[in-house]
Amino acid sequence: MTPTPPQERFQILLDPHKKILWKVASSYCKSAADRQDLVQEIAVQLWRSFDRYDARLRFSTWMYRIALNVAISFYRSESRRIRHTVPAEESILEIAEIAAEPSSPEINPNRELLHRFIAKLDPLDRALVLLYLEGTPYDTIAQILGISETNVGTKIGRIKQKLRREAANAA
Amino acid sequence: MDLDDLKQTWQEQDSALDANLRLRTFARHAGNVRQTDTAGRRLVRGLWIEVILSFVATLLFGSFLADHILEPRFLVPAAMLQLAAVLSIATGVRQLVAAKMRDDSEPVVAVQKRLESLRVERLRATKWTFLVAPLLWTPLLIVGLKGLWGLDAWAAFPPAYLPASLLFGLAMIPLGLWLARRFADRLACSPLLQRLARDLAGRNLNAALASLASLAEFEREEAVGSN
Repeated sequence: MTPTPPQERFQILLDPHKKILWKVASSYCKSAADRQDLVQEIAVQLWRSFDRYDARLRFSTWMYRIALNVAISFYRSESRRIRHTVPAEESILEIAEIAAEPSSPEINPNRELLHRFIAKLDPLDRALVLLYLEGTPYDTIAQILGISETNVGTKIGRIKQKLRREAANAA
Repeated sequence: MDLDDLKQTWQEQDSALDANLRLRTFARHAGNVRQTDTAGRRLVRGLWIEVILSFVATLLFGSFLADHILEPRFLVPAAMLQLAAVLSIATGVRQLVAAKMRDDSEPVVAVQKRLESLRVERLRATKWTFLVAPLLWTPLLIVGLKGLWGLDAWAAFPPAYLPASLLFGLAMIPLGLWLARRFADRLACSPLLQRLARDLAGRNLNAALASLASLAEFEREEAVGSN
């Protein structure tokens, strides 16, 4: 029996988690162009690191680590861009950008609030909130970020308080 | 409004994403993707060039030193240049090792700390390189004239020229720092110059150190209970 080529194995593993690419990119980029660049940069890094993927770690955990590391570095440095180096036809993830955009604030004001709240957070708190919103268990968040589970709980609590305060001030 | 209300909103996006995200046929492009240029690759390439050029310089200065070992007027400037080249190799290799060891699949805080430390090291190296450079003009002139054309700069120029040139280089250090601080925020027309000015003025270094401090703060266990 012929073994599955690594490209196919990668695609099979990536497919059920492709939303992670878009969600991480949209949490760290405002413009659609930057988001597209970041998605490609994350995908490139995932594929480059795939040789070293340790199957003992869940694929989504491994993917989150890489995606968040690339996104935070991308966010922190204006010069770290691969724009124009990945031709459009070689893009890994095709996004129907307009249809995937959140609906207008009139229809769902919570989405607007959610995106405004995320945009105000620093890169690490943003990663934490993203993982929390995804419903990731605390122990997995701790594993992805490299902090203790208690610390995750404490920080989530603090962010919740901050959001409540902001909502109260806005009301 | 609670974070858990937003969680529901967040998860409502999933179905829309399912319909709108599609992985392209990856296999056809996999080879090209591995070759894609990224910031990390550019950094490693830049460091290799830096190390190789410094290594070539140590060979040239080393050969010059051997030829003029008994002539202090050439030995001292060549030794200064050799020391600068060796230090450049050492910092380049340290950064190269750190850049090569980068593994984005490690936990986020650890990777970000390593990247920021590398950035701090690069910023310090850039700052010191540009600060020390004016002091090396005179030794380079002496060694260059002798090594390339066999000219003795001590004899070719008036006696006061070389000490004055060294003093001028020394005076350029505070002047360069002052200019960098003054114009760091006014060079928006040239991102490269602006970055260099911010590096020299220490602003990028301060930002990187602040970032390292915030990473340490994030990592620290907090006493307040979760909510």
